[in-house]
Amino acid sequence: MMESIISTMAEQLGPAFVVLGAALAAGFAGSGSAWGIGIANEAAAGIMTEDPKKFVSALILLALPGTQGIYGFLVAIFALLKAGIIGSPVSVTVWQGVALGAAWLPIAIAGFYSAIWQGKSSAASILLISKRPEQMGKAMILPAMCETYAVLGLLVSLLMLNGIKIG
Amino acid sequence: MPRNDAYGYAVARIRALEPQLFDPSQLQRMIDADDSDAALKILAESGYARWMNEGARYDSALEAELCAAFDEFAAFVPDRGLIDIFRIPYDFHNVKVLLKSAFRARTGGKKRYDLLTRLGSISPDDLVSRMESEEYGLLPWGLSVLLPSCASMWEQNADIVEIERVLDSGMFAAVISLADSLEFPGVISWGRARIDSENIRNLLRMKRFGFDASAAASFLHGGGTVTVAALVPLMSDQFEAWGRSLAYSDVGAAISAVEAGGDFDEQMPALERTLDDFCSSVVANARYSSTAPENITAYLWGKEMEIKNIRTILVSKGTKTNREGVKGMMRRGYFG
Repeated sequence: MMESIISTMAEQLGPAFVVLGAALAAGFAGSGSAWGIGIANEAAAGIMTEDPKKFVSALILLALPGTQGIYGFLVAIFALLKAGIIGSPVSVTVWQGVALGAAWLPIAIAGFYSAIWQGKSSAASILLISKRPEQMGKAMILPAMCETYAVLGLLVSLLMLNGIKIG
Repeated sequence: MPRNDAYGYAVARIRALEPQLFDPSQLQRMIDADDSDAALKILAESGYARWMNEGARYDSALEAELCAAFDEFAAFVPDRGLIDIFRIPYDFHNVKVLLKSAFRARTGGKKRYDLLTRLGSISPDDLVSRMESEEYGLLPWGLSVLLPSCASMWEQNADIVEIERVLDSGMFAAVISLADSLEFPGVISWGRARIDSENIRNLLRMKRFGFDASAAASFLHGGGTVTVAALVPLMSDQFEAWGRSLAYSDVGAAISAVEAGGDFDEQMPALERTLDDFCSSVVANARYSSTAPENITAYLWGKEMEIKNIRTILVSKGTKTNREGVKGMMRRGYFG
């Protein structure tokens, strides 16, 4: 009886870690993006109150912190596919589940913080185009610098997921 | 959420409002105008046009523009105190007008309610009704205590200069108390810079009129970065030495730049301009932040300086002051 309970737990614990990791990857990166967009949105609303024609430029800049949420979503989907929770079922051990579950860390942490700071950068760039609309190109490059670290987090998470052998 | 994060919208709106401020080239065009009509025509090409009705005095237009800025900011700035700090001096101006009118009325004189301004935080009508009914209890900025005390001072010795002195001290105490309660470092520094500026301005005036040091102390206000005790000894020094004596403070460094030559009539306008520019410089760095509440202070102070510049130019057209002299009186304002 006891052996049967332990065996069932071992079978389910691996996938449980993967689900937890996927949830945290999507949750943290998505929250960071929402926060960053919110910050940039305040600046966009401020300049559009006086000059509604700035909508398109402001929209492009305030959308920049949204990419981290997409990266978190991609890592979550990739982890769930790899563990067979969606798609073709595969057997995942506890340690494989822990490893797959831990692959969320780079994108969740880098995505969360870089999205908030990118939101602040975007807000500053929105202020820049409110006075100098001709500087739109430079205004986009500045917040994009924060994106580099979210991309690195995404790459490390994907490499980790790819490196774990299942089955 | 940090308190500064609440200012993202307000600061963005200020950036979008910046192009509506007068820049130095527009002021230069007004200075170069042949007469006051030509200068007013340039003013009418700007945002001031909405207040310049046929036959209206330019003073009303300038007041309406500043009042509209205060009202507009009050609608979107998270801390109303940032606007009230600019309105307090106008509240005290209105109180002085009403007190003097009341005192004059007792001796059969005329009430001068036409001198009241709408720029204060308390509406003139409200203030008049409270003062006439002597209901001071709910008045802000310490006026609930100051007004009964001023009334009793008048009863005792009818000394209007002393009453003005008490009200001025009360005003600066209210300004610095409000700045402290807001807890924004730049706003506190700006409040202290205004007190330093007022003290140094008063000190030069009193030196000109031959006040002795002990009498001068009562006309100086506490709360600045330079204490009253450090200012009083300056009365016995030449103005040229003041900057050196106060070199340890920011205001001392600022007044060192005032050209000491010439008489009082030349020194005073130069000193006033330098002190206003000093106050502008205290909050100037806020422009590099997208969330600093000090941006509100910088903009509204810049607006006040803009109006002061426009008024100086328009008055100079009437008095035929030479253009170089007027140019020398222009405050740097928001654009630095």
